[in-house]
Amino acid sequence: MSNVSNVPPRGLFARLFEPPRIGAMAPGAKFIVYTLLLAWSAFVLFPIYWLLITSVKSAADVNGGPVYIPFVDFIPSLHAWRELFVVDYADTLRAYVNSIIISLAATALAVLIGSMAAYALARIRYQPNLITILLFVLVMAAALFAIGSYGVDWRLVLVVGVGIFYFLSKAVASRVHVPLANGDILFWMISQRILAPIVVVVPIYMMFQSVRMLDTHLAIILTYAVVNLPIVIWLMYDFFNSIPKDLEESAQLDGATMIMTFREIVLPLSRAGLAATTLLVMILCWNEYLLALFLSTAKAQTMPILVAAMNAGERGILWWSMSVVIIVMIIPVVFMAIVLQRYISKGVLLGAVKG
Amino acid sequence: MNTDMTSASETDTLASDAKRLSIRKMNKHYGEFHAVKDLDIEVEPGEFLVLLGPSGCGKSTALRMIAGLEEITSGEVIMGDRDVTHVLPKYRDIAMVFQSYALYPHKTVAENIGFPLKVTGVPEEQRNKAVFDAAAQVQMETLLERFPRELSGGQRQRVALARAIIRRPSAFLMDEPLSNLDAKLRGFMRAELKHMQHELGVTTIYVTHDQIEAMTLAHRVAIMKDGELQQLGTPAEVYTNPVNLFVAGFMGSPPMNFLEGNVSESGLQVGNDKIPLDGVEDGMAITLGFRPEDASVVEAGQGRFDAMVYTAEMTGDLTLVTVKHGSSILTIKMPKDFMVDYNQNVGIQFDSELSYLFSTGDGARLKANVVDS
Ligand SMILES: Nc1ncnc2c1ncn2[C@@H]1O[C@H](COP(=O)(O)OP(=O)(O)O)[C@@H](O)[C@H]1O
Ligand SMILES: [Mg+2]
Repeated sequence: MSNVSNVPPRGLFARLFEPPRIGAMAPGAKFIVYTLLLAWSAFVLFPIYWLLITSVKSAADVNGGPVYIPFVDFIPSLHAWRELFVVDYADTLRAYVNSIIISLAATALAVLIGSMAAYALARIRYQPNLITILLFVLVMAAALFAIGSYGVDWRLVLVVGVGIFYFLSKAVASRVHVPLANGDILFWMISQRILAPIVVVVPIYMMFQSVRMLDTHLAIILTYAVVNLPIVIWLMYDFFNSIPKDLEESAQLDGATMIMTFREIVLPLSRAGLAATTLLVMILCWNEYLLALFLSTAKAQTMPILVAAMNAGERGILWWSMSVVIIVMIIPVVFMAIVLQRYISKGVLLGAVKG
Repeated sequence: MNTDMTSASETDTLASDAKRLSIRKMNKHYGEFHAVKDLDIEVEPGEFLVLLGPSGCGKSTALRMIAGLEEITSGEVIMGDRDVTHVLPKYRDIAMVFQSYALYPHKTVAENIGFPLKVTGVPEEQRNKAVFDAAAQVQMETLLERFPRELSGGQRQRVALARAIIRRPSAFLMDEPLSNLDAKLRGFMRAELKHMQHELGVTTIYVTHDQIEAMTLAHRVAIMKDGELQQLGTPAEVYTNPVNLFVAGFMGSPPMNFLEGNVSESGLQVGNDKIPLDGVEDGMAITLGFRPEDASVVEAGQGRFDAMVYTAEMTGDLTLVTVKHGSSILTIKMPKDFMVDYNQNVGIQFDSELSYLFSTGDGARLKANVVDS
């Protein structure tokens, strides 16, 4: 009652865009926001709907122009599902299992190594000398050139190379100091990811070819782990940096060993970061196509390759089969996201510091 | 001198197993920067020593070196009869309270307090009892299941304290533990802290930039400036007998009043008045100091020199009269019923026994005094 008389009179439009209470949303604003959200949801969800209905369409339904609603516009059939999971189930299942193994292993490897590197970068101050690094690269290049172009015995090159590097670093690097810091190391690692993968595809292919590891799980796992390391290091560096150093120092003074400090303090506090990073890397591995295309021919083929294979051959693009494969590819990602999202909560550090 | 004796005997009876902490010629260099210079302090067993100095003077650095969190550039840290200079923090048997409290945010109050016992493998039953006892000492025993984020600043402070006292360390190190609290709580926690240290009798080094905290808590105060120890003594000693201009100006609230000038004809010219001095030479640049409570406002011409009243502030228990003389602002403590008009010319009287003379250049205390005329 009283609040009605307490405010000046105003028009309908003004009232429509004015919150009725503190903390509430104006009715007009609410309408606009929800309309936009609905429109956006439809826009985002429509492709998924399209995948679902395409997977049960016949070739005629697809080619004969767009049909939208099953049972009304067209009669759905499970022919594509049957083909992939009954007739050709061995191929489908192999690609599926390959994808799961490779993604899990590569993600585990990348997150393990990457978070250790990130922790070190966040907590230890490094001061590498740029000159030493340049000398190392120079000697390395010369050594490879000697082996590759002149066929010098690699053992000889190794011994001579180590000797030369040792001599040069004593003679030059100890006098000329161009100190780098942690930031430089971090940037160098990130720069590895900025480099387009296509640039290194051929060298990687040749490398695995020469050690006869093409079309093996291990080759793809190692490649994926290395390719994703920069992302893990970059993300986890930020997470570890956000944990106050005081907490670890306090644990040390309380008598905890390094391992205990890591297990009891650092790990629980970086769980959210680890979960987010794991999810991201897993999705990147799961969807990777280019490297898999080069590194696998049959045995180690992954799902993205299978998807692409639906666009090969004389029958044109098999939209229905492609839809089936994409649907089964989406399922594990959604599952992982649901499992991991409960760790990706904010505010884990609340209450650590200040009053 | 007198107070020193009392505090020493007091602590002797309390802590038979308390350890002496010796810091000898301790230095810290950060590259070119010399953060702590030849710090030499002997902390008596059971003593409450306060390291006092302005922000950035190297107090935290010194404390962290004693804790083993920071490498010592040179010097020694000796606990009891053990040289711990290069010993890892966890083997030093030291508990530290951080300015940020450093509570583990994902652990409950009980888990936080019990952490030092957990990592040293104390069985759970024994640990729970110790946690309860430690929590009870800081009145936190009813909040054991809460998380740090569910506590107020003062309660977090208590948890940090309980975590420090639970395992009876050889020494406590505290880095501005009260600075995040509001004024009232700070005063209350100060009293609790002092009481607790007295009860436990553990050798304590306490870092602060707040001279009132230092005065009220310390058995002895070590005053630092730019990484260098200026004076080490009981609060009364450093207050009544400062060795230099810095210590004189740092201790006391409001701070000591200073008048600068050059000596002429064995005296300091202040406006139209001359304050006669003994033990100085003509031409010396000197600073004359006296404390607000050792001076009084009198009729113009009746004091040692005249000045103009700038403001008068009633603080409750007394009136603070601020007077201006040239560029110097001086504060005098007067009784609470003292009345004076602004811009009035008044005389300032102070006790010659309770005034100090310093060399303006290097700040050193001079063996000189004001002569009563
Ligand atoms: N890691 C560091 N590297 C370089 N300088 C530092 C470092 N830590 C502290 N300092 C410097 O040392 C001085 C003393 O710092 P600190 O001990 O934290 O002062 P306080 O605790 O007395 O405020 C400061 O001038 C600070 O800038
Ligand atoms: Mg500090």
